[in-house]
Amino acid sequence: MTAQALEQRELAVVIGLEVHVQLETATKIFCSCSTEPAEDEEPNTRVCPVCLGLPGALPVLNEAAVESAVKIGKALNADIAEDTRFHRKNYYYPDLPKNFQITQYDAPICADGTLEVSVEGTRRDIGITRAHLEEDPGSLQHKGGSIDTADYTLVNYNRAGTPLVEIVTEPDFRSPQETRAFLAKLEEVLEYLGVFDATRDGSLRIDANISLVPADEVDDDGSISDEALEAANRTEVKNISSHKGAEKALAYEVTRQKNAIKRGRAVEQETRHWDESRGITVSMRSKEEEKDYRYFREADLPPLQVAHWKEEIPIPELPDARRERFHTEYGIDEESASKLTSTKEVADFFEDVAAEFDADLAATWVADNLLGELNYRDMHITDVSDRLDEFTRLVELVDADEVTTKNAEEIVLREMLDEGKDPDTIVDEEGLGKADDDEIGGFVQEAIDENPDAVEDYHNGEGGALNFLVGQVMQKSKGSADPGTVNQLLRERLDE
Amino acid sequence: MSDTPVDADEVRHVAELARVDLDEDEVEEFAAQFADILGYFDALDEVPEVDREDELVNVMRPDEVREGLTQEEALSNAAETEDGFFKGPRVS
Repeated sequence: MTAQALEQRELAVVIGLEVHVQLETATKIFCSCSTEPAEDEEPNTRVCPVCLGLPGALPVLNEAAVESAVKIGKALNADIAEDTRFHRKNYYYPDLPKNFQITQYDAPICADGTLEVSVEGTRRDIGITRAHLEEDPGSLQHKGGSIDTADYTLVNYNRAGTPLVEIVTEPDFRSPQETRAFLAKLEEVLEYLGVFDATRDGSLRIDANISLVPADEVDDDGSISDEALEAANRTEVKNISSHKGAEKALAYEVTRQKNAIKRGRAVEQETRHWDESRGITVSMRSKEEEKDYRYFREADLPPLQVAHWKEEIPIPELPDARRERFHTEYGIDEESASKLTSTKEVADFFEDVAAEFDADLAATWVADNLLGELNYRDMHITDVSDRLDEFTRLVELVDADEVTTKNAEEIVLREMLDEGKDPDTIVDEEGLGKADDDEIGGFVQEAIDENPDAVEDYHNGEGGALNFLVGQVMQKSKGSADPGTVNQLLRERLDE
Repeated sequence: MSDTPVDADEVRHVAELARVDLDEDEVEEFAAQFADILGYFDALDEVPEVDREDELVNVMRPDEVREGLTQEEALSNAAETEDGFFKGPRVS
């Protein structure tokens, strides 16, 4: 560092993330207990000798957890280690029944990957240092107060042993916004892989390391020398549980560190806890140092040699590639393509509809109408997974001109979502079947007979008169007539 | 190993990691015991070398749910319980 004081130099933000992802397997990572909480389940009912850490119980690795980790590694362009093993991380805390957590230490299953993020049109590759498998601890309740003041602690081991993958990034983020974009992107990729459920509580947990370095230490390509990183004190922020939370927590932490430096104080190297409800980070006493974890090999679990799985296990087309293909193959604009690829289920549904009907019609119906109405109701595509054929039927009705676009959007789709009825029932009940031309012809004649003044105005060249007559016909048909057809029929009749 | 005896500070540190509260005289007592225990490891140097068995690799099980313990069974060895939870002291 130069002689110039830190408080007078322009500062750049350096952030690295550790993301804990809960894997969607049926069973825990080292035993056959279910990972799926029953509704209102009782504590300590999804447990066995292994996840309770009873003496003599032997862990056996869940193949599906390893497959998920390989898929994640593949999606992040990471190497899958030829030889990977498990370690015991020792610390005494009642959420760990064995007094150690089985995790991976010096031989993680995935290493050296990247994930591209885009913030305000600028694309950057974020380096992935490693991703490893580990077990989740149980959950604690502090009774009669906060963690510091509680009278006692209640422990539930239902969650203990749930498989996690911890993804560790390089310190490549230069702003809190980038971390949010990265986490959203990561979630999207994980969801496509089918290894992760974003709607599950606590399925994504984030720790962030953050420091400020002099801006002139940052090279044009965004890289920073190890010396500059070493010289800066960093804080580790724990307890972040969403992408929005990450951006807020880190924005807070940037301001806090900048203020400390501006006042000529050093940033303390420490662990801080993100308090979501108060929107601040608070200092946490940290008891252990890295060496205190006394990592040693988990002798109960033989090593894994699964590098060849990378070739054997297929992964689906990932969101970026699919977005690009939707753009080129179907000619869909970027915004709609983004909406349509937001989850794999939406993208698959769009392609099903587009295969049967016109791609533009499918894009409008899935991206704008269906997702728009779902969003308005705070619903998600997964809430209507078993009714997608009904939406396809609605598009079919529109495509076959059996119901007008307006009625389909404003009445049928909304009633489908609000009342759970199928489209044919709604069309019948509401009498929305598109009027045939004979019927419209009748309405046209009625409108002409009933409105001689408007007819006269029309012949006198008043443009508004035709619109008035179209409106009259539309009213008579209860909206089931096509305005274009009405317009044309009226002109023909009036100009005879 | 036995010629670098464990000092009192190391004993206190290990006790803290294990969340064990030791009195001063216990610290002295454990320091002496640790030195003895480490001494026993020297005996391992005298064990003749043997070839180890071929190492197992890729031992995994299918992702199929199996019945575990009931809540009653799970809690049966616990000193204290409450409403189906294990009960313990404050943990800060």
